[in-house]
Amino acid sequence: MKRSKKLAAVTIGLALPLALTLSACSGGSGGSGGDAGGDGDDNTLTVWAWDPAFNIYAMEEAEKVYQQDHPDFKLDITEVTWDDLQTKLTTLAQSQAFDELPDIFLMQNNAFQKNVINYPDLFSTYTGDAIDFSEFPSSVVDYSTIDDENYGVPFDSGTAISALRTDVLEQAGYTVDDFTDITWDEYIEKGKDVLAKTGQPLLSGQAGSADLPVMMLQSAGASLFDDDGNPTIVDNEALNAAVDVYTRLVESGVLVEVNSWDEYIGTLVNSTVAGTINGIWIAGSIQTAADQSGKWGMTNLPKLDVPDATNYSANGGSSWAISSNANTELAEDFLGATFAGSTELYDTILPKAGAVANWIPAGDSDVYAEPQEFWGGQPIFQEVVAFGAEVPSNNTGAYYYEARDAVSAAMTQIMGGADVDTALAEAQANVEFAMQ
Amino acid sequence: MTAETTVRRAGRKSPPPPLDNYVGPKKPWLNNERRRSLTGWGFLIPASLVIVVVSFIPMIQAFLLSLQTGRGSRLTWAEPLWYNYERMLNDEIFKLTMFNTFIYLIIQVPVMLVLAMILANLLNNPKLKFKAFWRTAIFLPVAVSLVSYSLVFRTLFATDGFVNDTLMGLGMMDSPINWLGEPNTARAVLILGLLWRWTGYNMVFFLAALQNVDYSSLEAARMDGANAFQTFWYVTVPQLKPMIVLCAILSTNGTLQLFDESWALTQGGPAYHTMSMSHYLYEISFQKNPNFGYAAAISYVILILVAILAFIQLKVGDKRD
Repeated sequence: MKRSKKLAAVTIGLALPLALTLSACSGGSGGSGGDAGGDGDDNTLTVWAWDPAFNIYAMEEAEKVYQQDHPDFKLDITEVTWDDLQTKLTTLAQSQAFDELPDIFLMQNNAFQKNVINYPDLFSTYTGDAIDFSEFPSSVVDYSTIDDENYGVPFDSGTAISALRTDVLEQAGYTVDDFTDITWDEYIEKGKDVLAKTGQPLLSGQAGSADLPVMMLQSAGASLFDDDGNPTIVDNEALNAAVDVYTRLVESGVLVEVNSWDEYIGTLVNSTVAGTINGIWIAGSIQTAADQSGKWGMTNLPKLDVPDATNYSANGGSSWAISSNANTELAEDFLGATFAGSTELYDTILPKAGAVANWIPAGDSDVYAEPQEFWGGQPIFQEVVAFGAEVPSNNTGAYYYEARDAVSAAMTQIMGGADVDTALAEAQANVEFAMQ
Repeated sequence: MTAETTVRRAGRKSPPPPLDNYVGPKKPWLNNERRRSLTGWGFLIPASLVIVVVSFIPMIQAFLLSLQTGRGSRLTWAEPLWYNYERMLNDEIFKLTMFNTFIYLIIQVPVMLVLAMILANLLNNPKLKFKAFWRTAIFLPVAVSLVSYSLVFRTLFATDGFVNDTLMGLGMMDSPINWLGEPNTARAVLILGLLWRWTGYNMVFFLAALQNVDYSSLEAARMDGANAFQTFWYVTVPQLKPMIVLCAILSTNGTLQLFDESWALTQGGPAYHTMSMSHYLYEISFQKNPNFGYAAAISYVILILVAILAFIQLKVGDKRD
């Protein structure tokens, strides 16, 4: 090659990759810099949340409500699934990169204790007067209260309901009222009757999922941990009763077990089962079956046969947390004016997304009192908010997921024929081992 | 580049200065040989630096992490130092995941290698029609994302899924099998998924190695009266030995570090019975109460297992050479 051509070739060969790398680097860091909150102008808040049809939609509506009084306000919402969000928070906290945090993020209620105890540097407590926590049910606020400090504003309600197909019940000669304020023994009897007369089970659930037993546990005011944080899986009267009820439900055929979440939703949508017991958020999935409109009704849960048993429980739910990297004044003011202060917001998001408020005053509005056609004219949302106030608190603690998984594994073994006490003892041993 | 070169190369105005033909008391430090090796090092150093910073330093840090205990970011040195490793000996769930991973290794890897070899041998037949189609079809699963195929397999083997419907429709069963609900069938489904995905990959390796097999040796075997199986076993396979060892080591490494299928296909299966070691490690780090020291210790145990097995396979492979 001629020397000049060779020189030109070498120059381009060195310069081009360098230029590409630099532009890629600056583009990449610009993108991730955009995610971080704290810097950026004073009227913008960054938010991380999951589920565009539910949580993110609610946030966008909240932004509009707040903009009525603060026209310069803006929200920068990034969609992050819960698993990814938990992983991100853990990674950021471990590597002490707190300036990558957004202003506000959503967190599952069950995960609050674990994250606050392990990584207190991720959060800012709610110290101002902008939010009145007494307007939320204490059972929900307790999830995000550690050492008497509040770390989360409760958002979507996990209050549990017993949803039932009124047409199937009618065939067997029952109404929804027959299932209100009853005990689990009565539920199983009526369920067997419905199964015999119509061939449809009343419940379905994922095999090995601890959701239903833990819901039953919470309805009796009991938990998997005591106040000192020790696991109470053995010698737990309420848990033994819950496991016993669950076993009887499966053996009698009133509850049919499936293997995955999609199958579970399928049983509801395809009319394989005539009801379900889960958090109110299951209504969104049930309502996707438009051909079943008018055929559903809802009531409270059956109660266990133990002292302090109630007909109310909860499963899931999430709360908004403010990060340590946030514009705390603006964030608290925003959340206080919208999620803890605006009936208008809750009225807007209810019909579209089925997002039921934890905020008690929201339940007094007319929109909540509207009869829902899908549910046979029942004003379910108003009733759910009333249920929410009755739900007993439970202790989650930092090792909640270990305990839940251990109980799931124990349930699988018990369903496979193992002795209840042995399986629960093994679960307790596993949790104690994990707590070392 | 010696002084004798008189041919003018385009671009050079004069021949390059000779390096060996130096007259004087001191030889220049930079002679030909050194210049070449320095050039070599010059090209290697940037990449090596990157590998050291990105791979080796984190490995050392991970080892140091495995000697620490504590939740979240409150890590302290363990008392005694090897506490996490000791704890692993008592961890029932870890032993179960190790058992699961070894079942996958022992059943899936040999079956896959044999299948890949047979397929490669069949596809190497010069008289085969539509060779390109067969090769593409068998290799295509490798191009599919791990998560997508796991999810599809999960749907296929659901209780009301395609497999159950087909088997019942053909009259082979009366009631659906709960594939993912029983430990043994769940493991079988996972192994089936792994076979489907990775056979093509190894088949391509073997095909490449088969190109180097001397056709005359096969002809000689046939003339001596060997049938197809004997030719395959006594002539082809010994010549494939290095490639078999390579594929075995790669497969062992991949299977011991299995994660995606355990995560997406069975989610650890009924009560941890299909969970792999890496999946358990991830659970401890991110889903349960974070215990990074213990997780790092598990990852080192996986490393040691892979190293031991790779060493054994190399020794066995080399001996018969």
